[in-house]
Amino acid sequence: MATVTTPILEEYAGGTIARAQVGLWRDGFRRLRRNRLALAALIYLTVLVLVAIIAIFWTPYNPATILPNTLTFLGPSAGHPLGTDDLGRDLLSRMMQGAQISLIVGVGTSAIVLTVGVVVGLIAGYFRGWIDNVISVFINIFYGIPGILVAIILYLILGHGLGNIMIAISATAWMDMARLVRGQAFSIREREYIEAARASGARSGKILFGHILPNSLGPIIVQATFVIPIAILTEAFLSYLGLGIPSPLASWGSIASEGYAALPLEPYMMLWPAVALSLTLLAFNFLGDGLRDAFDPRQRR
Amino acid sequence: MTDPILEVRNLSTHFFTDDGEVKAVRGVSFSVAPGETLGIVGESGCGKSVTAMSVLGLVQRPGKVVSGEIMFRGHDLLKLTREELRNIRGRDIAMIFQDPLSSLNPVLRVGYQIDEAMYAHDKIASNAVERRGIDLLKQVRVSDAERRIKDFPHQFSGGMRQRAMIAMGLSNKPDLLIADEPTTALDVTVQAQILELLRDLNEQTGAAIILITHNLGVVAGLCKRVLVMYAGEIVEEGTVEQIFESPQHPYTWSLLRSVPRIDANRGHRLLSIEGLPPDLIDLPQGCKFNPRCPFRVERCFTESPPIEQVAPAQHAACWVTMERAYAEMGAGTITDTSPGAASGVHPAGRSLPPAEVPAAIAEPVSD
Amino acid sequence: MPTRGTLIYIAQRLLLIVFTLLAVSFLVFITVHSLPGSAFESERVHGKALQLVLHQYGLDRPILVQYWSFLTSAIQGNLGVSFQIRGLPITPLVMRELSVSAELGGTALLITIGIGTTFGVLAAMRQNTWVDYTLTSIAVVGYSVPSFVLAGLGELIFAYWLPTVTNGAIQYPANWTGTYGTLVELSLPAIILGFYTSGQVTRITRAAMLEVLQQDYIRTARAKGLKTRVVTVRHALRNALIPVISILGPLVISIITGSVIIENIFGIPGLGKEFVESILGADYNVTVAVFTVYALLIGIANLIVDLLYTVVDPRIRY
Repeated sequence: MATVTTPILEEYAGGTIARAQVGLWRDGFRRLRRNRLALAALIYLTVLVLVAIIAIFWTPYNPATILPNTLTFLGPSAGHPLGTDDLGRDLLSRMMQGAQISLIVGVGTSAIVLTVGVVVGLIAGYFRGWIDNVISVFINIFYGIPGILVAIILYLILGHGLGNIMIAISATAWMDMARLVRGQAFSIREREYIEAARASGARSGKILFGHILPNSLGPIIVQATFVIPIAILTEAFLSYLGLGIPSPLASWGSIASEGYAALPLEPYMMLWPAVALSLTLLAFNFLGDGLRDAFDPRQRR
Repeated sequence: MTDPILEVRNLSTHFFTDDGEVKAVRGVSFSVAPGETLGIVGESGCGKSVTAMSVLGLVQRPGKVVSGEIMFRGHDLLKLTREELRNIRGRDIAMIFQDPLSSLNPVLRVGYQIDEAMYAHDKIASNAVERRGIDLLKQVRVSDAERRIKDFPHQFSGGMRQRAMIAMGLSNKPDLLIADEPTTALDVTVQAQILELLRDLNEQTGAAIILITHNLGVVAGLCKRVLVMYAGEIVEEGTVEQIFESPQHPYTWSLLRSVPRIDANRGHRLLSIEGLPPDLIDLPQGCKFNPRCPFRVERCFTESPPIEQVAPAQHAACWVTMERAYAEMGAGTITDTSPGAASGVHPAGRSLPPAEVPAAIAEPVSD
Repeated sequence: MPTRGTLIYIAQRLLLIVFTLLAVSFLVFITVHSLPGSAFESERVHGKALQLVLHQYGLDRPILVQYWSFLTSAIQGNLGVSFQIRGLPITPLVMRELSVSAELGGTALLITIGIGTTFGVLAAMRQNTWVDYTLTSIAVVGYSVPSFVLAGLGELIFAYWLPTVTNGAIQYPANWTGTYGTLVELSLPAIILGFYTSGQVTRITRAAMLEVLQQDYIRTARAKGLKTRVVTVRHALRNALIPVISILGPLVISIITGSVIIENIFGIPGLGKEFVESILGADYNVTVAVFTVYALLIGIANLIVDLLYTVVDPRIRY
């Protein structure tokens, strides 16, 4: 390694690659720490998660209760920091519950997409042949269909409920993940170390989960992060249309919808969910960008 | 001797990266006479390409020329406005690059890319441009030039692309052509053709050529005079005969000894240069070659040797020089080329070559 | 001049579109018909009467038979009749709504590409300066802020605070039948719709430009002494457009998704509004028709994108 036998210095490459492998994760975290936007996003999201957790045990009022002797469309005031809604419910309590719902839907959908997408993608990418053909044809046919249309139909079939919303959104979102993982598996399969593992008698399962998966973890995590804002946005929109979280549960989308109707009377009611949704989606997008720059330099955009 | 067409004085170009300041070129001075063929030789990352890019003002961020003068026809190129410099690029000084596939725009026709260089400057009358484009392709020996000029780069072979690059470089009849590794990406037979083409063009058009390469054979085939660069500095300069027959810098000497030669006698062993070039962010004290030099003496670790005349028209930057190494250290017969092996100088704490690989920033721009 | 290979490729792609349409329409048909409830169920229509109506519309037949009859008439351009507005032929309805949606979506697409490429190029040219930060931030805001938030904001500003600017013409008139809205009526929804997708175009254009500006041929172009503007536009942008074209397909999907939202917010009588209404009203035939039209649009858009590649990149030949 230390001996250079010709004046041409291509021998450099070997050493650099070896170093890159070892330091990939450490370098990634270093890059992430330097990304101020991603850090700010992370702090915001941490606070949001805390709010959602607090909302499990405590909210200022019961978010679903129509408070007696309370004015509707009350602006921000001492008793109700964010005011009250069209029925006289406390908006802060409803917003806290909305945070809970958005996060559950976002993270839950991402988890479903991650599981289904990774398994299907790995199977297609590793085994190839007819299995891959069937999966690819299926994905190619449905890839172009707007997810929201499918989600609307599926949600109506499945019926109301948080879990069903997640399934309805995952119904199309998993395909992106599967395509990504399949591509990764295809390229990693060709590398020497997989060849070596196979030659030394490693079983398919071990190669899949021991080699291919860890080596494509970066792009997978990035993709999974980007699923979260999409899911939150879709849920908010479904609820906005009245096709989402059933009343009296509060979703940011349904609060926005009620606020939109009340816009001429009271802009505040639209303001809170609008700000909360925008900030949350921004934060997830910034975090995703930061993760991508940090851990997935190849597809940096 | 006529006035030089290009005179570079004390040029330094650094790259300001996240990991530190990469001092890619430091205090480089040289000149080129009209019609001369000058070779610049060195390993990847020694700063030869960055030197050439600095001349044309093509160094991109985070790189920056930090000091020096680049005199071209009596004007300092570093003091010109962007527009003035743009007018010189491609018109008076042309440059061709290493990889002719990536250096040609894939979505534009070859003919268009050649003509465009002429339209950009008013040196060639615009009604003569298209005719000249075809003539140039013929001149660089592309067969069926009338038809091929309408092709896209991907329809050309590697050698033809490099010919097209050369045609582009010659289109405005430049006084100086800088060729950065023009043959590296090509097959050996095509390499020879391209070199022959460059030699003919030099004789026919009288354009001076700076040939940048890591390949000593290429230099021997084309150049009259050679600069040897190491770690961002010129370590030796001389005529091609001097450099090949009596190199005075241990680096030049090692470089020549490490190249297999068909005309070498059989007892002549190939020797390697141990270790790696220094990290350009954190350079060693004294001579930059001291961590790898078999002939180093104590002084090499403390003082940087200036470039001094060692023979008529030959200069080297070395405290020892090969003349002394042959006379006192038995350079003619050594087989062990490890650092300090011939001189026996191993200062405490510096006896081993740097173990870690320098960061991959060695050549941030090209190669 | 399309080559033989290109024609074969187009034929293959058309075949794939047909196959996709069959698969999508079949699945959607089966799915929506399994939805609980129907457009005819109400307090007034039940029992015998309901049976009669279902029979009249052929809904009492096995589902595969129903699909077959839908398919055979759809091929002849007849997408069936609406249940909600009893007996209204769907084809003209969908065509009219398609023209409305196309007007909205087309305007948004132009806005998207115009703003997106301009912002992307500017940001790349001024990488890591305040110009870059501002434009990329606008891009992220663009696809992070939900369109109904922007719509609410727009409505608040133009309908309630500055009604004189628009003369109150934010909502499409209820009786609007698609003989094209006025520019004012169209502009706010189209801008909001285009703003969302322009963020994606900005990002990809910026990234592509940055990548291209690093290429050797850009160095060659600069070494030739070309003006910066020529290097940027003719050498860099043409190459940077290739990845931009590759997202045109997903972009059309994004715009369709967005239009479903925007049309419902602004009450624009297009396909997106019809889709949601038909689903809520259990008007299956309309749902299937709209879905199929969307799938067709996307298939055609993807085909056009593939052909555009060959125009921009001479290396690609089918």
